[in-house]
Formats: sequence, C-alpha cells, structure tokens
Amino acid sequence: MTSRLLWIVAALVIWAALPFFVPRNIADLLVFTGIYTIAGLGIGLLLGHCGIVNLAQATFYGLGAYSSAYCTVMLGLPSIAGFVVGAVISMALAYLIGRPILRLTGYFLALATLALGAIASALFFEWDWLTGGTLGIGGIPKLDLFGFVLDRPSRYYFFVWIVAFTCMAVAHNLVGSRTGLMLRSMRDSSTAAASLSVDLQALRTQVFVVCALFGSLAGSLFAHHASFVSTQSFTVDRSISFLLIPVIGGATSIPGIVAGALFVTFLPELLSKLGDIHQILFGLALVGVVVLLPDGLMGAYGRLQRRLAPRRSGHDH
Amino acid sequence: MSLSSIAKLAGVAALVGLSAFARPSGALAQTSGEPIKVGAIVSATGAGAGLGIPERNGLLLAEKDINAKGGIKGRPIKIIVEDDASNPDTALSKANDLIFGQKVVALLGPSLTASTVAVGGVTHANKIPQIAFTGIGPAVERERKCLAHVLPPQRLNAQALLEYAKNIKATKIGVLHDAGYGNVVMAELRPLADKYGVKLVAVEKFEIGATDTTTQAAKVKAAQPDAVFIIATSATPFRNVKQVQITQPVVAAIGSSSYEYVNAMGSAADNITIPEFVVGEDPLPHQKAFVDLYKQTYNATPKNYEAAAWDAAHIIAQAIAKAGPDAGGEKLCEALRGPYSGVLANYDFSADDMTGIPLSSFVYSKLVGGKYTRTPFRVTQ
Repeated sequence: MTSRLLWIVAALVIWAALPFFVPRNIADLLVFTGIYTIAGLGIGLLLGHCGIVNLAQATFYGLGAYSSAYCTVMLGLPSIAGFVVGAVISMALAYLIGRPILRLTGYFLALATLALGAIASALFFEWDWLTGGTLGIGGIPKLDLFGFVLDRPSRYYFFVWIVAFTCMAVAHNLVGSRTGLMLRSMRDSSTAAASLSVDLQALRTQVFVVCALFGSLAGSLFAHHASFVSTQSFTVDRSISFLLIPVIGGATSIPGIVAGALFVTFLPELLSKLGDIHQILFGLALVGVVVLLPDGLMGAYGRLQRRLAPRRSGHDH
Repeated sequence: MSLSSIAKLAGVAALVGLSAFARPSGALAQTSGEPIKVGAIVSATGAGAGLGIPERNGLLLAEKDINAKGGIKGRPIKIIVEDDASNPDTALSKANDLIFGQKVVALLGPSLTASTVAVGGVTHANKIPQIAFTGIGPAVERERKCLAHVLPPQRLNAQALLEYAKNIKATKIGVLHDAGYGNVVMAELRPLADKYGVKLVAVEKFEIGATDTTTQAAKVKAAQPDAVFIIATSATPFRNVKQVQITQPVVAAIGSSSYEYVNAMGSAADNITIPEFVVGEDPLPHQKAFVDLYKQTYNATPKNYEAAAWDAAHIIAQAIAKAGPDAGGEKLCEALRGPYSGVLANYDFSADDMTGIPLSSFVYSKLVGGKYTRTPFRVTQ
C-alpha cells in the first residue's frame, strides 16, 4: 500500500514538473494528449464496458469546439458559456440519436455511428453560416481563469489535465459502481443481464450520453487551445483516431486510455522525422500493436506483471 | 593505418567529391557563419499533398539559389521543412516546434487555409513573420499584419473567372464546384456575377474527392449555359463534363491547374481555359530564369505552387537582409510590408489583404492535349 502511494506521489511530482522541463512543442503535444484522453475515455467506456464501437466521437468533439468558437467569437459570451452549450447540445443529441440506434448491436451499431459521424461532418461543411465551413472560425480567445490567461501550452497543460483527471475519476466511479457491474454483465451476456431486469437500452444510452459529454468537453478545450476550428478537425478520420486510443491502450483500463492517447499524439510526431513514409510507418505500428498486443498496451503490461509475480514470490520464500 | 580509418577517409573523400558534383555550374558566392533558420510547413502527405509537394520543391530550390548567390548578407539560409499531413492540429504542433524548439526567425506556409489560420494564432501572438501559401482566409486574418499571403484571395479568383466570361461574351454561366475550395470561391462569385452582367443558370456542388459528378454535369448541360466554370481541386468534373458532351467553353479555377490533376484528366484535359500565373511551357520573361532552373533541377515543368513557395523564400530572405538577421520579429514584419515583384505575381504586402496581387498578374492558359499554352488575353487594370 505504501509503495503504491509512493508511486502515485512520484507520478504526480513528474506530472507537475513536466511542462517546466520539456520544450514548448512537447508541452503542446502533452496538452493534446490530455484532450485526446478525455475524448478517448468516453470511447473506452463504450468499447470496454458495453462492447459498443463508437465512430461518431468527432461529432461531439466538433459540437463542443464549434459551441465554444461561436459563443466566444460570434456572440462575445464568456468561455464557460461555450463549454455549457456544447455539453448540453451534445448530450441532448446523444440521447435523441442514442435511443433509436442503440437498439442495434455489433457491426450494425458501429455502422450507424459511422453514418452519424459522416452526416455531422457533412453538416459542419454545409452549414458554413454557422461553422465557417472550410475557412473555419479563428480568433478564439485563450481561457482566462480569474485574470490568469492560459496562453501558453505549459499553463494550459495543468488546466487540461485537471479536467482529464476529473473525467477519469468520474469514469472510475462509474465502472466501479453498481452501474459498472450492470454494464459488464450486459457486455458479457446481454440475455442474462436482461433476465435480471437490467434495462439494456437505457443503460447503453446513459453511457453514450456520458461519452458525448466527454467528447464535447475535449472539443471545447481544443478550440481554446488551437484558437481556430474548421471542418478538417472533425472528420470521420478523427473519430477513428479516437477509437484507436482505447484499442491501443486497453479499452477496460483507465491508465490504458492515457497510454493510447500518448501513442496517437506522440508517435506520428516522432515518425514524421523519418520523411514522407511516416504515415505508412504509423499504420505498421498500429497493425503491430493490434496483432501482437490484442488487449492493448495495458493488457500487455498486466500480463508482464503476472508473469513476473510468481518469480518474485518465489524469491520472497 | 587501421581499416576503419581508411574507410573513414574514403567516406570523406567521397563526400567531398559528391558535393563538388552537386554544385551547379558557374561562379558561386561563398556563405559563412551560422545559418539563418527559417521554418516551413507544407502538406507533403494527406489531402493537400498535391500542393505541398510542389511547394516543398520550390522552397528547397529557393534555398539552394539564395545560398548560391551569397546567402543573406553572407550567411547561409537554412529552410527547415516539416509536413503537417494536411492536418491543422499537426500544423500547430509543428509551428510550436519550429518557433520555440528550433528557434526559426520566420515561418513559411502552411499549404491549406485551415492550417494557416491555426498557425497564425501562434505567429501573431509571438510576432513571428509568416508567409502562407494560401489566399487570405477568415476575417481574423485581416488583423494579423505579420501574416502575408502569396496566393490570391478567393474574390480575385472569382473575378479572374468572370473577366474571361466577359471577354468571350458569355452571359449565362453554369458552375460545377466542390464543397471545399469551390464553396469558398463560389461565395465570392455569387455577389460579383451581377456586376459582370452574368447570370448563374446552374450551380451544382459535389463532395470533395467525389469519384463521379455526372449527374451534376448533366444538370449544368440541361441549363444550356454559354460557358461552364469548374471550381475544384479534382480531375473528376473535367472527365464528366466531356462524358456528358458539354461543348461550351470550360473555364477552370487555379485549384485544378497542377500537373497531378491534368494527368488524371486524361483525354479530358483539352480545350480548358485557366486563369493562373505560371505557364511552364511558355513562361513570361520574368519567370523564365525560375522555370529553367526548376526544369534543370527536377526534370519537370513547374506550375503555380512551386513558384509561390519560391517567391515566399525569396521574400523572407529579402526582409531578413533589410532588417538584419537578429532584428527580431516585429522589425522583420515591418520589413516584409511593401511591394515585391515575384515570379508568380507582383505583390504588395502593405495592402489590406496582405497580398496585394493585382488582377493584371493573372495569365490565361489553355489546356490542349494535356499541355498548357499561354493565350494573349490579360486583364488590364
């Protein structure tokens, strides 16, 4: 227990010191890692605990980003308004769309979410009076906390990660609660869960709404960081990137989501130093992780720990 | 002497030999001292690669040319080119790396509007001069007086198309445009049409990357226009216009002018007029030196985006020479504002749109059998 506490303290010290020691571009990537962690958490909840593949997270991410952009730039409202409007619209949409489509299962449900993502992407494009279309909306102000402007990645880093940790705590509580048990029973045997009077559809819809909320929060954070939003950031490709986060990191593990987010933000950046071949190499790395580590990076870590544990206990005796 | 020492010596000798061959012929000015670092972001992969790759070629050629002519007041220029994979988020990370990590004095690019606006947020806040390979975008860019553009604003592209329609006395126009670049030009074209006495009899939109636009082309044909405008970054509408046998004159916006698209048009790359800037087969006198050097280096004919990047590198080199390499961002921005006669066009970066390209800089080329010929038509202002 003491060693676990020590680990946590050490991790927190490293987390707090990191932005002061790394160059600005790395701090910037760490901000993106935090943002992607929040968006990936929602996908992880759906994938790991409900067995639902969601390919529409970029929709909610976009709704959050456009709400923040529109409220601050066009309407001149305070930043918090954008966060709230984005969250409310995203949750309402997730509820309205989730109720009918979450009756589907497996590939059909994945395709339905893909369709939702494609429709939203087309609407972001077409409704240029609202979204600015290809040209987007620029000049989104940096977040201001009681006069302290978060105008540098090293400052914004703390804000984003505090939001990310809060979302992780929410996800952790949800998974550990009675609802989490119901979710897993539904994932492993929906018939058995239904026979125990678990309302499958209501439960799935609730998690879908939480996923949308996380997506919207991440989108609003992104808008204030980049100061600019355009349709290019909210395509189906982005939804696939978000889906990769739990797939790579490990869908049932919350630290796995952070590992997955680090993978999708840092690896392309590192590989880009190798020239135009970097996208092919990233694809190969993805295939490598999925084939060699089917339960993700955290799954592999868990297996490694289990393999080492008997040896350790052997030494103890 | 050990075997490894011999190998090292042989390596050095080979490098010296190679570098001697790599130098272009003719007398070269010497550069010395610490290189002046300029960052560049292009879309070398992803959807914008058709723009980013030619731009990278133009930049690297300009770097070689500037250094061969003595660099910037004797110091060599080093252009660090990064790929944003056509993604504005990546462009932002790359800009942070170049400005704060690699300490570049100025930034060239990116290739796409979204990335340009995203990166502009960083360069504007930190007063780093930026020369984008895009036309001016959303309203916020007008406040960014350190951000110059080497391609025309979309309003000018729309005007260039309408000027040609006026020239051939076409009053009924059908338009085929994509939902991205085409949409933006179209938004500028609509209010201008009345001014030019032109009626838009059919306006058909298609998705970016659409593989078939036959339905839209058929609708345009049915409206019986005098001429058809195609505003897109794609070869598909050109092929479909031929398939539905539209015989009226076709006028295309600059977005489809690169050879990548022309080659994909196949036999449809015929009898199309394009208002653009650089006709590699028949360059204007002030473009000839650049076109010859490009052909000699890459064994290919340059078009507009290669020239835009070449211009951007020379413009920043001139500004650095004027203000001094250690002058700081604000002074460099000041040095940037003013007229510049480039290969692509005559710019004036003190203009409101930070471009200042006049309509008279456009040349009108005709694609015949996949090759460009320059037509005598020009707009006089």
